[in-house]
Amino acid sequence: MIGKWKVLGGLIATAVVAATAAPAFAEDWKPQRPIEIIAPAGPGGGWDLLARTMQKALTEEKLVDKPIIVTNKPGGGGASGWNYLKGKAGQGEFLAANSPLILQNNLLGKSDLTYKNFFMLANLMAEWEVVAVKADSPWKTGKEFFEAMKKDPSSMHIGVGPALGNDDHIQFLTLTKAFGADPKQVKFVVYPNTAAEQIPALLGGHIQAITISLAETLEQVKAGKLRLLGVSSPERVKELPNVATWKEQGVDFVFPHWRGVMAAPDLSPAQQKFWTDTIDKMVKSKTWKTSLETLGWDDYYTPTKGYNDFLAKQDKEMRESLTDVGLIK
Amino acid sequence: MEAVLHNLGLGLEVALTPTNMMWVFIGGLLGTIIGMLPGLGPATGVAVLIPITYGMNPGTALITMAAVYYGAMFGGSRASIMINTPGDASAIVSCFDGYPMAKKGKAGSALAISAIASFVGGMIGMVCLVFFTEPVAAMALKFGPAEKFSLMLFALTATITLSEGSILKGFIAMGIGFMLATIGIDGQSGAIRFTMGIENLQDGIDFLVVMIGLYAVTEVFKNFSAMDVKYDIDAKSIGRVWVSWADFKKSIGPMLRGSPLGFLVGVLPGAGGTIATFLSYAVEKSVSKKPAEFGKGAIQGLAGPESANNACSCGALVPLLTLGIPGSGTAAVMLGALMMLGVRPGPILFEQHPEIAWGVIASMLVGNIMLLLINLPLAVPLVRLLKIPQRIMLPLILGMGYMGTYFLNYSSFDFVLVSLAALAGYMLVKLSIPIPPLVLALILGGMTEQSFRNSLTIANGSLSIFWEQPISLGFLILAAISLVWALNKQKKLMKMPSEPEEEAD
Repeated sequence: MIGKWKVLGGLIATAVVAATAAPAFAEDWKPQRPIEIIAPAGPGGGWDLLARTMQKALTEEKLVDKPIIVTNKPGGGGASGWNYLKGKAGQGEFLAANSPLILQNNLLGKSDLTYKNFFMLANLMAEWEVVAVKADSPWKTGKEFFEAMKKDPSSMHIGVGPALGNDDHIQFLTLTKAFGADPKQVKFVVYPNTAAEQIPALLGGHIQAITISLAETLEQVKAGKLRLLGVSSPERVKELPNVATWKEQGVDFVFPHWRGVMAAPDLSPAQQKFWTDTIDKMVKSKTWKTSLETLGWDDYYTPTKGYNDFLAKQDKEMRESLTDVGLIK
Repeated sequence: MEAVLHNLGLGLEVALTPTNMMWVFIGGLLGTIIGMLPGLGPATGVAVLIPITYGMNPGTALITMAAVYYGAMFGGSRASIMINTPGDASAIVSCFDGYPMAKKGKAGSALAISAIASFVGGMIGMVCLVFFTEPVAAMALKFGPAEKFSLMLFALTATITLSEGSILKGFIAMGIGFMLATIGIDGQSGAIRFTMGIENLQDGIDFLVVMIGLYAVTEVFKNFSAMDVKYDIDAKSIGRVWVSWADFKKSIGPMLRGSPLGFLVGVLPGAGGTIATFLSYAVEKSVSKKPAEFGKGAIQGLAGPESANNACSCGALVPLLTLGIPGSGTAAVMLGALMMLGVRPGPILFEQHPEIAWGVIASMLVGNIMLLLINLPLAVPLVRLLKIPQRIMLPLILGMGYMGTYFLNYSSFDFVLVSLAALAGYMLVKLSIPIPPLVLALILGGMTEQSFRNSLTIANGSLSIFWEQPISLGFLILAAISLVWALNKQKKLMKMPSEPEEEAD
């Protein structure tokens, strides 16, 4: 008997919700339930930091009126979390952090997912890539280093992690080619832990150089332990005015290590509009700008249309680099 | 020396403010509870705290997170001792003798000595952190892939040779562990290995899932098959949570040996608590006059690894504070949280923010004392668990095991893995194949393989790198010695068939 009443009550409630929600849906949409931002990795990494920074900015600037939770879904180099997002098709309350790995996983055959499976909301921030050597090593510029490498490739060991085929690796391959050495002969030493073990390995003299993101080397450079041969940014980085860009060194190569945000597939135009507007407000807010500065991240905001074009271009370029060295067959 | 004491004083000033004391207490308690639950490790505990740290100043944030970290180290072995279910990988060793002690009715002593040993380990680790950070950090840099490979090889051979029964069976267990470790995407070549087309296996097999299966669930099966057997537990002695003087005296040596060992291993990049605890156990068993007691409730086998584990978590802070490189998964989470607060640990942290670096170190002093005070009384309700009848306890353990499994990766596929591991575990027990070498090989397999390949890349394909480096050569010699010693021991055992060997249960 009670069961029947419950069912009836449920039906009435659904009808009421549907009746009130329907007109709102047509012109204007906003999140109906708590919002979930998926960090497709464990806590502490870049995706997690991005998701939590978004959570902070959206909440503190009161850009959404529903609570936001960050969920960590590690696995498959992002694929586990992104598959989860794919399963939320048509639901506007789910966002996920992403990065070039969404291209690389697909290129290397690790995952069927591509950026085309999602609503690519916006590219948000970029860090830059560097090549670092020990401060007391003989090489001061990219040219000197790659000349030495051309002479004796077997004496140069390059630390990279956590796996080949990522941005760090692709940067080095592109540079090798641009400086006229043979990418196939580079001896990469892979450090599979996410703990950036290549840095102590370099400091200890076990390897000769590392290809890595700038932020991870910053403190070592400031302390005078590492030297950066070049940076992949378009202009010199504010914090390190002495480090020349690759462009200045005669190589036409600007390479952002970017992270962005995407939403579930099959969103209605109203849902898409809500998020593009909200993210646009977020990146212009004070909280967001201060957070980026604290984290040492560059603003790399590109909304949907430009983001998709950028991804198509990067997909093509990375395919070439990885095919060159035989990682794509 | 004077500078160090001055700095420590500065740190204590920070640590002893009422706010920070309160957070050390909250963090320590939370860490202890999280550490007790299988599947929830210190990394999860610290991650839960991240939103709370937003409003804090960086020093308080780091102090709170560090308190959760070593709180979890205190708590991790509770479940190992009571229900043979390690809270995380570094608590596996605590099962070896802790659980047999509990079965013998000495749960109170086991819990007390593990809290005391954790305290001693934490204190010695902290002292090492204060005085030896710089030389030790310099030493860690000498550790290249060849040294790392040889160290792991030594840890593995030591575990095989010290486990009960035949060495051959130890090698079989290690072989299975290595085979399981190869499943998944290979970081070097990108090849997808042995996944049989199952996407869930691409990331490899999570050793924590296997561990919960092999220990907790297998334990349920074992007890279920012997449900009617009554343990000979003296109801009165259960309630007593203290160690006798004799037991304490036996534990002093192991604690003093385990702590520095744990600290040194903790400093090495990526080595961590698992190696520290296994090595400490191996050391204790080989120096013991009665090695046969190990595995049957020897208090030394619990005290050594427990202190090694806590000293190791102090060691893991060395690379974080001096290089900005996290020495463990938990340290990585702490690094992320600090970055959000605008602090980047690194070589100049001690100069730029001495109050943060030294505040954390001093808070460990305060925290360790507090954790001892939390953990000793906490043992009283815990030992009562033993009075719960098995037909209620076993389903509870089963439920906790599966719940913990789910919390690891939020993947229902892991339920299949944990069940398979449990069935395999039961078979291994029946065949008296030791489980520790399997688990250790599974944990270290990937790292061992990669450091072997990295060594060869660096040496341009020559194996000589392993014996040309003195540290590496040293570990290889130790590995060889432990093998020869074990073979010798086995020969002796085979010559004396009159003394029937006790069946490992």
